[in-house]
Amino acid sequence: MSARELPWTEKYRPRRILDVAGNEEAKKKYVAWINSWVRGKPTKKAALLYGPPGCGKTSIVFATAQEFNWELIELNASDVRSREAIEARVFSSSRTGSVAGYAGKIILLDEVDGISPREDAGGLQAILDLIERSAYPVVLTANDPWDPKLRPLRDVCELIEFKRLGKRDVVKVLESICAKEGITCDKEVLSAIAENAKGDLRAAINDLQTLAAGRKSISLADLQVLGERAEQESMFEVVRTVLTAKTPEQALSVTRLPSLDYEMLLQWLSENVVYQYEPSLQAIADAYDALSWADVMLSRMKREQQWALLSYALELMTAGVASARQRPPFKFVKYNFPEKLRLLSRMKEQREKFRRAVRLAARNLHVSTSTFKTEILPYIKVIYEHDRKKGEELLEKLGVRREDLEVVLRG
Amino acid sequence: MSSEIEIWVEKYRPRSLDEIVDQEEIVRRLKEFVRTKSMPHLLFGGPPGTGKTTAALALAHDLYGENWRDNTLELNASDERGIDVIRSRIKDYARTLPIGDVPFKLVILDEADNMTSDAQQALRRTMELFSRNTRFILIANYVSKIIEPIQSRCAVFRFQPLPKGSAIERLRWIAKNEGLEVDEEALEAIWEESQGDLRKAINTLQAASVLSRHVTVDTVYAALGKVRPKEVREMLESAVKGDLVGAREKLRVLLYNYGLSGLDIVRLVHREVLSSKSPLRLDNVTLADLLVLIGETNYRIVEGADDEIQLMALLSKIALLAKSGRS
Repeated sequence: MSARELPWTEKYRPRRILDVAGNEEAKKKYVAWINSWVRGKPTKKAALLYGPPGCGKTSIVFATAQEFNWELIELNASDVRSREAIEARVFSSSRTGSVAGYAGKIILLDEVDGISPREDAGGLQAILDLIERSAYPVVLTANDPWDPKLRPLRDVCELIEFKRLGKRDVVKVLESICAKEGITCDKEVLSAIAENAKGDLRAAINDLQTLAAGRKSISLADLQVLGERAEQESMFEVVRTVLTAKTPEQALSVTRLPSLDYEMLLQWLSENVVYQYEPSLQAIADAYDALSWADVMLSRMKREQQWALLSYALELMTAGVASARQRPPFKFVKYNFPEKLRLLSRMKEQREKFRRAVRLAARNLHVSTSTFKTEILPYIKVIYEHDRKKGEELLEKLGVRREDLEVVLRG
Repeated sequence: MSSEIEIWVEKYRPRSLDEIVDQEEIVRRLKEFVRTKSMPHLLFGGPPGTGKTTAALALAHDLYGENWRDNTLELNASDERGIDVIRSRIKDYARTLPIGDVPFKLVILDEADNMTSDAQQALRRTMELFSRNTRFILIANYVSKIIEPIQSRCAVFRFQPLPKGSAIERLRWIAKNEGLEVDEEALEAIWEESQGDLRKAINTLQAASVLSRHVTVDTVYAALGKVRPKEVREMLESAVKGDLVGAREKLRVLLYNYGLSGLDIVRLVHREVLSSKSPLRLDNVTLADLLVLIGETNYRIVEGADDEIQLMALLSKIALLAKSGRS
């Protein structure tokens, strides 16, 4: 690569959101979020784009800035993320008007999982403050969103998952770059570059540029220069290690991973153990016994500040699960993100409405919310099923707002 | 009177002590407090639906008249987040003087037996701190779950389930007011199913009345059949069949669509297990096994464990128990 030449990853960064390669679902979700900002009513003030490196998280933000003519205010891992730095560079501009020429702003905090709680003192809190006070969209990116220290951020952000790009998507981009650079190159070669990059488009483009340095054609033989790229261990692999471990010791090995979010792992295991150990009820029951004990240990640990209990919890959820009796022979299972967390986040607003309505109605009936939900509401629902108007009026009479009726009666 | 739509337990709740037809001894003593405008702290104990809350509200009404709400703080221990919240709400409220000629304000603390004994100790101190111008009415299903030092500071009133005759009389009176035709056997059935819980009985009557203006035994059972969330039974049925994925789907409907708490669901499972029509009445599974499992789950969830994981652990054990007898 000659010194004056721009890195191709920069030179060919997409200029429109639609030009970002692959990840159709993530793009759709992202566009919906951005549109909510454009309409002036953001669903969430910030979005957390997460996924492996080189799958378009940063590019989509650059493309957004270009497309809407917004000023991009960027911080990345090499910045000092002290509170002062964020205050000065980002916050001072997040509420005040934009520099002439721009129609708005977008704030990008790249690789937030790189924040060190010790060195970037207050950085996390400053980010939360920024999100809270910002008048412009804030985008965070991370490779591993399940890092325990990011939990507070997960709660306030729209979570958008970017996946490793498919080989075909990567090849397509490489082809178009070759065409623009006037390079001849076999599809076979591009395919090999893509293969080696394991879905990391940035890596693939960098490799292509390295290989093309100073010549107009690339052959398969040239490929040997490239080193094998290592894949990062994701939650999926951790779950697979535990659920398909041949011995308890194998399962235990995941507890030595440096940034293991054990609470998240517990949810992932609970979600997927049923599928992995089907049809053995003995194995599922044993595994759940271990998981439920791990859960009890964690809650005791937190409540009573008995940190020594952590090791029991970790051992129970890994080795304990792997020691279940009558585990079925290995089979390939596609693991799911914990449905519980998805449901909880999707229904957060609804639950809030429900809670508010139930609280009011319970108070007006002089009963607890629990009594209302289990002893009163079922009767009102029977009435509602036979006479909608009557059911609704009963609830309104109990102080439930008209706009909350549906969420109370829906179940 | 019958034209306005309202939930009947509220519509027909006695407003004044004079309107309470049962619990004569209790009412007589409460009226004495009203007459003398003085009373100690009170503790009302008794099963659900026996009129404890109604008596407390009626007492407030008779003490302070139409403006009783200004002098009454109603709290439900199950819904307030911890004793600190309860204490600070009482503190804020007790700071101001009572309005009118009664020298004290009233705090009604419902479901007080759901408080831990530590919280009750703190409550005891709060009661002492504000006893100059505040009286407490504590309401509990089980008096024995209230700590001794509080019991000893209160006049204890034990509410008995309404005798069958008066309960049916009350239901008949409501039916007449609503212009309903109700078969005598239907009233008997409601009584039978509600086990002396008048709130449940009135709710059942109201739900049945929507199904048909002529309430028969069949309408009563039809209404009751719809009242129990069928997901609880279906969830247990799936588990008994060994279909844990299906059981989990139903569990999630209850938790996330119906907004029930893990504890609510444990209680419903408990009730389901005791019912003679339960899918869990299997030859090879003893009731004792099930009760131990459910009780343990209840304890863990109260302790702060994860609803879904604990309930799934319960369901998978039930699945295993059910299967061990089949094969």
